[in-house]
Amino acid sequence: MPLDTSTYALAHLRLDGRRWNELRRIHGQISTQAAADGSAYFEQGNTKILCTVTGPQEPKRGGGSSRDQSNEAKVEVEMNVAAFSGMDRKKRARGDKRVQEMQYTIASAFQSTIFTHLYPHSTITLNLHVLSQDGSLLACALNAATLALIDAGVPMSDYVSACTVASAPSSDQTLDEADPLLDLNGLEEQELPFLTVGTSGEAGKVLVLLMETRVQVARLEAMVSVGLDGCRQIRGILDGVVREHGRKALESRVS
Amino acid sequence: MIFISHVSAEEQPCSSQALQTLYDPKIWVTNQSGMDLSEAALGNLRFTVATVWVKSKRRQAAAAFPQKLVDGRQTVHTKGGKYNAHAPTGLAFSRETFAKLTPGPFLQAHLQQPEPIRPNGRSLHAFRTPTIHTGSLSHSNGSAVVRLGDTAVVCGVRAEILLAADIPHPPSEDTSEDDLVERLGLLVPNVELSTGCSPDHLPGNPPSTSAQALSYRVLSLMHTSNLIRPGDLSIQYMEPASDDDLPDEGPKTVTKAFWTLYIDVLCIALDGNPFDAAWAAVISALKSTRLPRAWWDPDREMVLCSPLANETHGLRLDDIPVASTFDVFSTGSALKQRSEAESWVLADPDGFEEGVCTETATVVVRSEDGDAGGITRLEKSGGGAIGKAAMGRCVHMAQQRWREWQGVLHGG
Repeated sequence: MPLDTSTYALAHLRLDGRRWNELRRIHGQISTQAAADGSAYFEQGNTKILCTVTGPQEPKRGGGSSRDQSNEAKVEVEMNVAAFSGMDRKKRARGDKRVQEMQYTIASAFQSTIFTHLYPHSTITLNLHVLSQDGSLLACALNAATLALIDAGVPMSDYVSACTVASAPSSDQTLDEADPLLDLNGLEEQELPFLTVGTSGEAGKVLVLLMETRVQVARLEAMVSVGLDGCRQIRGILDGVVREHGRKALESRVS
Repeated sequence: MIFISHVSAEEQPCSSQALQTLYDPKIWVTNQSGMDLSEAALGNLRFTVATVWVKSKRRQAAAAFPQKLVDGRQTVHTKGGKYNAHAPTGLAFSRETFAKLTPGPFLQAHLQQPEPIRPNGRSLHAFRTPTIHTGSLSHSNGSAVVRLGDTAVVCGVRAEILLAADIPHPPSEDTSEDDLVERLGLLVPNVELSTGCSPDHLPGNPPSTSAQALSYRVLSLMHTSNLIRPGDLSIQYMEPASDDDLPDEGPKTVTKAFWTLYIDVLCIALDGNPFDAAWAAVISALKSTRLPRAWWDPDREMVLCSPLANETHGLRLDDIPVASTFDVFSTGSALKQRSEAESWVLADPDGFEEGVCTETATVVVRSEDGDAGGITRLEKSGGGAIGKAAMGRCVHMAQQRWREWQGVLHGG
């Protein structure tokens, strides 16, 4: 078994050599496609996602009396998982439920963050292209979408940053001293119970919390607090990416 | 893998200082290979994406656009001067309005100038410079990202094993090697356009006819050009000598399984000419494909693969065909005499030009005696403006394009 409990307990090192609170190599870049209103490319380890934003624009499908007349913009998310992205080559059927659920989660996270009251009766469309997945798919998608929305100039209350946390296996199941592991890769996600947490702002307001595996309640609090700290680190990285881009843009204007 | 975009001087067409822009395009200064020097130091798996400052190109063309064509009247010919969006009183449109309202006459006005130029700033026969990066996707056997101006395409190649025993109708002994790949369906390309790459291709919709046609064109071109040899894709097993064999017969080699390559092409951004970009992505991805060493285990009756990276082998692609697409803009119509119509052949059309032109031609060229020569495929549809002479010029341009691509494919 790859995550043999004894291996972790010996050196407290994970499979890829990280400690419990270390993030993977994260790289982000914004404004990658001039043709879109906003675009970003985000990598968390081997999970690579490209995001483009179009909007705010007129709603494409129908509109008029069939839509609810709320005076707010609507956020629509389309996620396109490439067939070569996972371990096995798999062409996703249209309307894959898992993808639909992720789309809905991302849309609702941004619906509450973006200042939608500024753009009534319009649509903001997010297109996510998953080029390679190796764990933390939802978290990486949220981060990529944040960068793309910032590039598009859509006003938001704060960055939305997300990460995953798992509960390390410990030999004694009753002990609640098991380390929560931050930022999982593909193998760890398959083996361990994990949750995805997405927050907004320095204070760490939780926007998204998704957990689909069983874990003991006693471990939950530690996992969530480590997750919040991880999100704060990622928020710092996202901020750095945006500032770097801004600095380059300013330098080019001045020179 | 590095995504490059660059504002390079060689993309500027004929007129030179006339195109000095409002906006100085020296933001992303790139060196010879087009990489940010700091990024060049990183390893292969680093996927760095840079910005395309195409907007500057359009402003270049705007600066060259003569003022008089926008105003209703003759004004001072300010070609090369700054374009003034605040036109004097009278029936005058801004450049963007003109383009949106009447795209045909807008393009025609550009082409009818003494030095014809296209709205995107290129000359008639100028292709966009491609940039290719391969081998960045970790889960795929081969991958490539191709950028052709604003058109960006990602291709991933996955290899799966097809056991010879599972083939329902095995090909007969006398099937030639060239037909084997086609008979067994060992290459499965799929071009995905419904990704939101352009407003015409929204995700969630079934593939349009043009998208389906693209997949088929790539497939048929791979088969007719015999791009991949079946020998590269077969897993063979040498049967040990048994007592039944005649003494002078050597050990028999039997093909026990084949590698099937699933080639998925994903269009990230579309600004015209998807076929050239998709074909370039397919051949770059196939060039970078590494297949693991596989052998037939007679005891377990299955194919085993070695996980070691240094035992992988690539595909032999000696003679790579290169595709070039042309669009024809013609002023002919049913109401005019045929002789009155003017037509211009535009190389490597972008999204705006594709929307206006109906006639298109694609020429695929491969090498002949070391230089560009043999025509592998000629496709033409949509109209009658290209005659023999124009087709010959297109082939010549395609051969030139072949030479440009050799540098990119083998150097990148």
